[in-house]
Amino acid sequence: MLVLKLIQSLIKALHSEGTPGQLAAGLALGSILGLTPLWNLHNAVVLALIIVLNVSFAGAMLGWALFVPMGFLLDPAFDWIGRTLLLETQALRPLWTALYNAPVVPLTSFNNTIVLGSLVVAAALWVPLFFASRWGIVRYRATVVERVKRSALYRSVVASKLYNLYRLFRPEA
Amino acid sequence: MRVAVFRWKAVVPLLVLGAVALGLWLVFADRIVRRTAESVGTTLIGAEVEIERLHLDLPHGRVEIHGLTVASPFEALENLLQADALVADLEPLPLLEKKLVIDRLTATGLKFGTPRKTDGRTGGQADGVMGQVNHWGDQLRVPALALPTGKISAARLDPAQLTTPRAAAALGARADSARQAWDSQLKGLDVAATADSARRMVERLRGAKATDVKLLGDARRTLGQLKQAQDRVTALERSATSGIAALQAGAAGLSDAKQRDYATARGLLKLPGLDAPDIGAALFGSAAVDRFQRALYWVELGRRYMPPGLLPRATPGPQRARRAGATVRFPEANSEPAFLLKTAELSLQLGTAGAAPRTYAASVSGVTSDPALYGRPATASAAAPGFRLGALLDHVRATPRDTATASLAGVALPPLSLPSLPIRLEPGSGTVALSLAVQGDEVRARWTMQSDRVRWTRDSSGAAPSSPTGDLVWRVVSGIPTLAVSASLTGSLARPQLAVSSNLDRALAERLRAVAGAELAVAERRVRAQVDSLVDGPVAPVLAKVTVLGGDVTRRLGGERTQLDDARKALEQRLRELTGLPGMRLP
Repeated sequence: MLVLKLIQSLIKALHSEGTPGQLAAGLALGSILGLTPLWNLHNAVVLALIIVLNVSFAGAMLGWALFVPMGFLLDPAFDWIGRTLLLETQALRPLWTALYNAPVVPLTSFNNTIVLGSLVVAAALWVPLFFASRWGIVRYRATVVERVKRSALYRSVVASKLYNLYRLFRPEA
Repeated sequence: MRVAVFRWKAVVPLLVLGAVALGLWLVFADRIVRRTAESVGTTLIGAEVEIERLHLDLPHGRVEIHGLTVASPFEALENLLQADALVADLEPLPLLEKKLVIDRLTATGLKFGTPRKTDGRTGGQADGVMGQVNHWGDQLRVPALALPTGKISAARLDPAQLTTPRAAAALGARADSARQAWDSQLKGLDVAATADSARRMVERLRGAKATDVKLLGDARRTLGQLKQAQDRVTALERSATSGIAALQAGAAGLSDAKQRDYATARGLLKLPGLDAPDIGAALFGSAAVDRFQRALYWVELGRRYMPPGLLPRATPGPQRARRAGATVRFPEANSEPAFLLKTAELSLQLGTAGAAPRTYAASVSGVTSDPALYGRPATASAAAPGFRLGALLDHVRATPRDTATASLAGVALPPLSLPSLPIRLEPGSGTVALSLAVQGDEVRARWTMQSDRVRWTRDSSGAAPSSPTGDLVWRVVSGIPTLAVSASLTGSLARPQLAVSSNLDRALAERLRAVAGAELAVAERRVRAQVDSLVDGPVAPVLAKVTVLGGDVTRRLGGERTQLDDARKALEQRLRELTGLPGMRLP
């Protein structure tokens, strides 16, 4: 059912009323939630931005869902990047020392190698991801959307009868 | 169409979400902090830390912990400590910097060494502190108290290891070679021919006149030949004498070689050391190493989590579904340490033999993750009748200095099993003391245990099989009612040296020597006999050969010299008779 939900979310996002820019911004913000460890203070800020900024919420959820597995896969790389920045880059040491001894900032766990490494990668990917996804969405809506709308799969997923039926009969925890 | 940047209508739901999150935090804060404290404590100590209940009272800056249990990192089914209640007064502002500064901690109902149902150890990895300390303990050699049992087989002696037969063979060859050389030289002298020639000359001179100048000249030449032959015999005698002396020295050397072979054979017996220090180390070395390892474990933990200096330090990150990574601390001068316990007052209970546990008071101060920032060493102290504790962990300077001393009198000492022996010692009530000083890499430590009423029991569990040594030790120790053990550790952490002594050492050493000495004498006689059987065969004929050769050569040379001397005397006598006229003399 997770796959079904993901497809549903993807189609809802791609076919929503939002502009490609809103959808791409939501997806890029959601990627930060997916790439970095979830329970951190910076993700509360990201979530607040997703809510307050006029971006696609469905796109953000899609970005989160898509990038969670990537986050797990890339953890070794994040760890290496974080170690390099925190421990091996002498020029940055005064910055980290100041941040570490400032109020509130340490609560973000920026001094954890995985958190910092993944946050840096997510921030660096944000702009390319925004433009790439916006271009992709525009192309999709111009060329593929009508054919998808006519497909049986699309109709069944959007109607989500199967999913609703599943929800009715799924076993209680 | 222009799209608005902000979704103003979402502000209210966002605030609601924030309020819900805050409410959830308030509801679950105790649980979250309890789990975090358990996780951090478990990581730090290397054993399970369990908390029954934790209450976080942020408005009053207070944390209350009830039912704290810390498993022992050394023993599987034992707790390091249990505490009924801990109350910590926190400074709130450092919490905003994710720093924990505890002004005052009170702990009540601290109990040590209580049993537990499950193994709470989580450390032991090769790269962890426990692995490091275990590796350190492995360096300390604790000898085993063991005597050779059963017959010591003579077959263990490999004849190829013996030097005497080889030396005898070499000496025999030298004797043969010398005999050939001397025979050849004796033949070359041709003494018989020279003596015969002299005798013939004497015969010719019998009817000769003093005026027969030619004959007299021949006689003088013959006399000269005799003298030359005598000189050659003398030279050969000298050479033979030194050669025989060398062969006799070689024969004497065979005796030395035989002594060396005895030593080689004795070395194969693997005789145990029966000196008193060896016995002390064999009986109590393992127990002493265990105590020192435990003390060193805490010192190493202190050095790992309370390092000197202000350099960034990486520690393992929090446990989560994603990788933990490493969390790096960046201490800065004049800022708060990441962790600081300013003072702690502890109320602890220690068991006494045959009585209810007694309650003692102790205090701790200056425990911090950044000693260089706090600027003072961590201390712990306690003093009560029969109980004394003092510890100082000075990591303020570059070279850490850790000292601790503790003594406890009138407490129930834990039982000990003697290594490899089916004997168990129950020290009963006694005094135990441990002192430790580690400065940089240099360590000095001492552990003592004294008891006036020890009980010895034979371990029938089969963990250590019964043996003659075990029976012997049992006969000796079972009659000794007191115990005084002292173990000391010196040297560097890389090369520690252990010395252990006890009041049992001398008694055991004397008894073991008496019993083992007789067995060892028999074993030595056996290996000497085996060496004799392997050595005497090749040695005896060589010795005889050298003796015979010496006598033979001396005798033959003596005979040759006698012949020449007799011939010379006769010839000189005849010449003197011929030339004995007035005015004439022998040339």
